[in-house]
Amino acid sequence: MTVTEVSAGWVPVAAALLLVVAAAAASLDGALAARSAGQPLGGGLLTPVAETARLFGQRRRTTVAADLPLQRIGTAGLLTAALLMVAVVPFGRWTVADLTVGVVWFNAMDVLVWAAVWLAGWGPNSAHPLVGGYRFLAQALSYELPLMFALTAPAVAAGSLRLGDVVAAQSGLWFVVWMPVAFAVFCVAVAGFSVWGPLGAPAGATTAGGVFVEAAGVDRWLLSVGRYALLTAGAAFGATAFLGGGHGPLLPAWLWLLVKTAALLAVLVALRRRLPVVRPEQLAAPAWLVALPLVLLQVLVVSVVVVVQA
Amino acid sequence: MDLSSLAARRTTVLAVEVPGWSRTRCALEQHARTRGWRLADSPADADLLVVCGRPGARLTAAVDHVWGQLPGPRARAEVTTADAVPAALDRAAAELADGTVQRRDADARPADPDPGTTATGDDGEMDMGDGDMDHGDMDHGDMDHGDMDMDMPMPGGIGLAGGGGDDQLADPDSLDLDVLHVPLGPVLPHWPAGLLLHTTLQGDLVVAARAEVLLPADDDSPTDPPVHGTPAGRWDAVATLLALAGWDDSAVRAARVRDELLAGGQPPGADRLARRITRSRLLRWSLRGLGRLPEGDAHDRLRHWLTGTEERRSTELSTVADLVTGLDLASARLVVASLDLDTADRVTVPVEAGS
Repeated sequence: MTVTEVSAGWVPVAAALLLVVAAAAASLDGALAARSAGQPLGGGLLTPVAETARLFGQRRRTTVAADLPLQRIGTAGLLTAALLMVAVVPFGRWTVADLTVGVVWFNAMDVLVWAAVWLAGWGPNSAHPLVGGYRFLAQALSYELPLMFALTAPAVAAGSLRLGDVVAAQSGLWFVVWMPVAFAVFCVAVAGFSVWGPLGAPAGATTAGGVFVEAAGVDRWLLSVGRYALLTAGAAFGATAFLGGGHGPLLPAWLWLLVKTAALLAVLVALRRRLPVVRPEQLAAPAWLVALPLVLLQVLVVSVVVVVQA
Repeated sequence: MDLSSLAARRTTVLAVEVPGWSRTRCALEQHARTRGWRLADSPADADLLVVCGRPGARLTAAVDHVWGQLPGPRARAEVTTADAVPAALDRAAAELADGTVQRRDADARPADPDPGTTATGDDGEMDMGDGDMDHGDMDHGDMDHGDMDMDMPMPGGIGLAGGGGDDQLADPDSLDLDVLHVPLGPVLPHWPAGLLLHTTLQGDLVVAARAEVLLPADDDSPTDPPVHGTPAGRWDAVATLLALAGWDDSAVRAARVRDELLAGGQPPGADRLARRITRSRLLRWSLRGLGRLPEGDAHDRLRHWLTGTEERRSTELSTVADLVTGLDLASARLVVASLDLDTADRVTVPVEAGS
């Protein structure tokens, strides 16, 4: 299966697709929330639409001596990073940007999120968002290095940093089968850069919403959508790098990618409600003492297999 | 279905509980939930501000300040009995949907954000939890140097957060982060009613704390019985602690158990939920060792609430301040929630901890 780069005219379509899948994730989250509240699921499914209507009708607000340019950059940064991430993910046989360094590009975009969340926390000149920003950086120090090595594993196995090649290398066996540790670490890191679930402390209730505290109206909308978009982009990348991308019987390649992305996304959304938040300072020890050595071992195993096969 | 009625489905409520009116706040949470509404995390998140009870002067000032932080469209209500909640919510929702009222409200508001008041006052000066004015410590050491005042721009007319100033304390990580004076409460979700904790933060570390309770109005007392000390009160404490621990699913289910108990029913899922909460390893890991008192830590107290074996005890405000000093903000919030303070029967003597 070869991947062809489509013309730039398709970029809005790709962006719209990302937003639609992200909205579906928000719907699922709303439905699960309605279920635990004992409310009809239908209302929960409408959550993204209703919340959008509410926030678009709400006034924006500023705070005293806010650093507005940086705050705005941070607020828009999450969605921007997510859009740039999916640019390199092949949608079946097509891709928006067929970069030779696709894996590194994804990694670079996830580091961009560091800046975005920090600026969104710094900008309002308010204590709670600032603490949210601190926490994100503390947490990022824990998940980022394991994530980088987890991304190395599929690249080593495929012998290429181009995502099209990574997908092609999985025509026989999905990478998740022989790199389960890298896949698990990757999924935790997706939750990390999406400020999601157990790694949601930077936006958690202990800081009254963290980086979200002072955001209202369209700013809050951008932050929320950015979070869901990052989660979606992470799931799409995970489906591509570990779950075989477009490979699968009967269905066309693009549909397989969509199904796998949706499945991984649904698991991430469902896990959020089932797990409490981990305090960032607690995360450092297991991340550096358990996850990092394990994922290095994983890369070693993959490398040995590749060398032996060659 | 037009946009505003769609938006109304997600109406977000900021609840303010006055000490003594916990029953009213529980009713508010229940009615908000059955309408499919949400509880707000912060003023910026809220459409409605609902005060449960009759606040005294200082608490009223805090509530008014928070009211100014709601972005709008906005509406506010005050309820004093559980039975009055549905009608009050209906009225507030109607006001929220009334374009004329909202436009008039918007026109009357100042364009610039309200700078708030300083964090130093014990003299009736007021602060609230999620303020946009958290740097407002005017008695800061740096401010006494006249030449610095001349040269340094003061953004928004507020003093710069100090690093290395008089109140800088030894930091275990030697980071010498900015010293901020941040009041926690009295308007803060998942927080004891009326509690105002003046904290000094270095980074997100609480290096000093002083606690007091803001009183209700003198001329009124709640008619509903208190929730504290009843089985429903224990589930309320569970719901609060779990919401702070970020376990939304179980927090909402615990609140539902509380509401069924308050309605006089026997909640069927209570035992299963209790087992699920006690068994969670991640929760145990996150709460273990926090807020250690002679009888146990935060997780022990949670278990006692769930099994109904807790001993009623009264935690002094000074103990609260002592326990949170030296913790980061997240741990401090969890510790305060784990104490399940009953602020309704408390005197308002400020107590200090830290150095």
